[in-house]
Amino acid sequence: MTRRVACWRLPRNSGPPSMTGRDVNANTVLGLVVIALALIVLLVWIPLDTESGILEQVRRKVTIGDAMEPSLAAILMLVSGILLLVEPGGPALSPAHLRWLAGICGILVLGFALIRWTGPVMAWLWVDGVEYRLLRDTAPWKHLGLITGSIAIVAGLIAVVERRLSVRGILVALTVAGGLILIYDLPFDDLLLPPNGDV
Amino acid sequence: MDLLDYAWAGVLAVFQGPVLFSIFGLSISATIAMVLFGFLNGIFVGATPGLGGPMAMAISLPILISIFGFSSDALLPVMGCLIGIMKGATVGGAVPAILFNTPGTPDAYLTTLDGYPMAKRGEARRALKVAHFSSASGDTFSDLVLILCAPFLATLVERYLDLPEKTALLILSLSFIAAVIGGSVAKGLLSAGLGIFVAAIGTGEDFYPRLSLGTDMLAQGFPAVAVILGVLILGEVFRGLEDLARSGYGRPTLPGHAPPGPPGNDKIRHLPWQDRRPLLPHIARSAMIGTAVGALPGIGSTLAATLGHAAGKRRHARKAPDARAFGTGAPEGIAATEAANSAVSGANLIPVLSLGIPGNAAAVFLILAADSIGGFNPGPAVFRYNQDAVNPELIIAFGLFATMLLANLINWTVGGTVMRSMAIMTRIPKHILLPVVLMLTLTSIYVQETRMAALWFVIGFGILGYVMRRLDISPLPFVIAFILGGRLEETARQAYAATGNDPFFLATSPISAIFVVMSISVIVLAQYRRPTTAS
Repeated sequence: MTRRVACWRLPRNSGPPSMTGRDVNANTVLGLVVIALALIVLLVWIPLDTESGILEQVRRKVTIGDAMEPSLAAILMLVSGILLLVEPGGPALSPAHLRWLAGICGILVLGFALIRWTGPVMAWLWVDGVEYRLLRDTAPWKHLGLITGSIAIVAGLIAVVERRLSVRGILVALTVAGGLILIYDLPFDDLLLPPNGDV
Repeated sequence: MDLLDYAWAGVLAVFQGPVLFSIFGLSISATIAMVLFGFLNGIFVGATPGLGGPMAMAISLPILISIFGFSSDALLPVMGCLIGIMKGATVGGAVPAILFNTPGTPDAYLTTLDGYPMAKRGEARRALKVAHFSSASGDTFSDLVLILCAPFLATLVERYLDLPEKTALLILSLSFIAAVIGGSVAKGLLSAGLGIFVAAIGTGEDFYPRLSLGTDMLAQGFPAVAVILGVLILGEVFRGLEDLARSGYGRPTLPGHAPPGPPGNDKIRHLPWQDRRPLLPHIARSAMIGTAVGALPGIGSTLAATLGHAAGKRRHARKAPDARAFGTGAPEGIAATEAANSAVSGANLIPVLSLGIPGNAAAVFLILAADSIGGFNPGPAVFRYNQDAVNPELIIAFGLFATMLLANLINWTVGGTVMRSMAIMTRIPKHILLPVVLMLTLTSIYVQETRMAALWFVIGFGILGYVMRRLDISPLPFVIAFILGGRLEETARQAYAATGNDPFFLATSPISAIFVVMSISVIVLAQYRRPTTAS
């Protein structure tokens, strides 16, 4: 039994989207972004967010300060940005890539929310006067978040590729959750499955 | 203790180390069991298109640390398992390449050129035996070179390089990696610069954790496991899923993919000597090429396979013009490719063990394992020894050599049989495998870090890894620079202090000056020589 879900559509067999063919040189755009980023890091972030400078005098002795390493990294990025300006071509990120990334992140955020809150919400609904923190070492409470989160993430991602939510995807997700419980929870008393280290 | 005592102690640490279980009163060492498990697991993942050695190492590492803990007793079982995976994956990659024209690992692509035509002729079994024989030979050769060269190189480094020279050597390694990996020097530098910058966040010597924006979340820095797994594994999963969604998940993604060939009807039990003899010159040449390539940080097994195949093709056309040509199902073509890509796996530990510089993704995970467990810091100091004091790191180093030879022994004895039984792995759909890998990775990281913040970090770095791949920026310089960033800063601080606060400490010694000039030259030369790729 399968059910169609409204997920974002990707054109099939269209190849990776790129800006090839347009007048914009992708490497030039990337180079400008990198230069801007490097300058912000070098001129704003590092001076405002490090305690010592590039070189620091402590008790009349000069030492390398905490700003040295990130400054060199930013200079390296600046050089790479300048080199990118003179390097033609290169692939670019397209809106389709960003939409894909947003979709993947949406599934992961939903999965993380389920992992984090399924157990506490179920405990609040079904167990009077006992907060989830006291149940986090008790089956099945401690597994609820992982199971629902696995279904959202694993079955969700399979559904995105298959363009339908399938029973097979959900079964795979349940098997993965079961496997993780078998690997981490049953043999080890001191290991905590998500989200039990945070509650 | 002299050197032979250390070598023997290393062997004993493998065979008489912590016991995993006993059978009929016979104690089975955890290290031996884990090398065997890792090797079989490696063949399994290598034979599965979409997985690969680094991915399996990434997933296994947190599980292994959970099992064996953080004591020094854990080092050999954990690293032995990772070494087994690394070696097994190289062997396993040839299976789908030969049987289904789909390389299990990127470096097995050239194996398809001769392997699949042989399979189509009904010689699949023979092709697999040729691949296994060549792979095991190349791997063994490169391990022997590692065992001979790494201590020698490390001793040279310790004897002749002081702090300024070591700083310059780290700079040279980073610039070399940035210049040679990927298609653009600018992008290599960008990747390395980002890696060093990320390594700087939340660290430093001041009371205030630098670049932490005043937040507690960044004040501890990024967990190494979240950064490395995010960029290397999640980035690849995000890209792989998108490619599958675009191409139609049921269809193969590789150009030239063909339906499976007929099952091998060649019932040969052993590869006869007359079949092996013509392969030997190709195996010898490719093993040397693969070892030389593997010893240089940043140059992967795919280049080794390409060079080995090209060199073999030229010799084959000249010496045997009447024989079957490369690319049309010549066993010599499989031998040249497989010996070269397998010879990389041992040699790429030369820079890791002698200099502490990881050269590829597999080496990154070995360093990560050593860092996570503690008690072993890969680098020249590992091979420091004198008669009066015991250096436990040297025992571990010899133990690692013993695990590599043990993995080779397993490869020669059961590797071929296991490899040939893994054809079924190609049937696992990649679009199901990748979400499973993602969930396993997330859970493994949580178990190790025990906070949801680590999962957000790993997703953030996964997005970075995806963007880098889409922009054709190799993530490997980022990861290597992230690992080396802290060490580079620490060595530079010590060198600066040791030279009496000389701001030109990198230029005062001839060796460090040469290294600095080489660092700049390698970037300039690579930029100058690289063909422009205007679209």
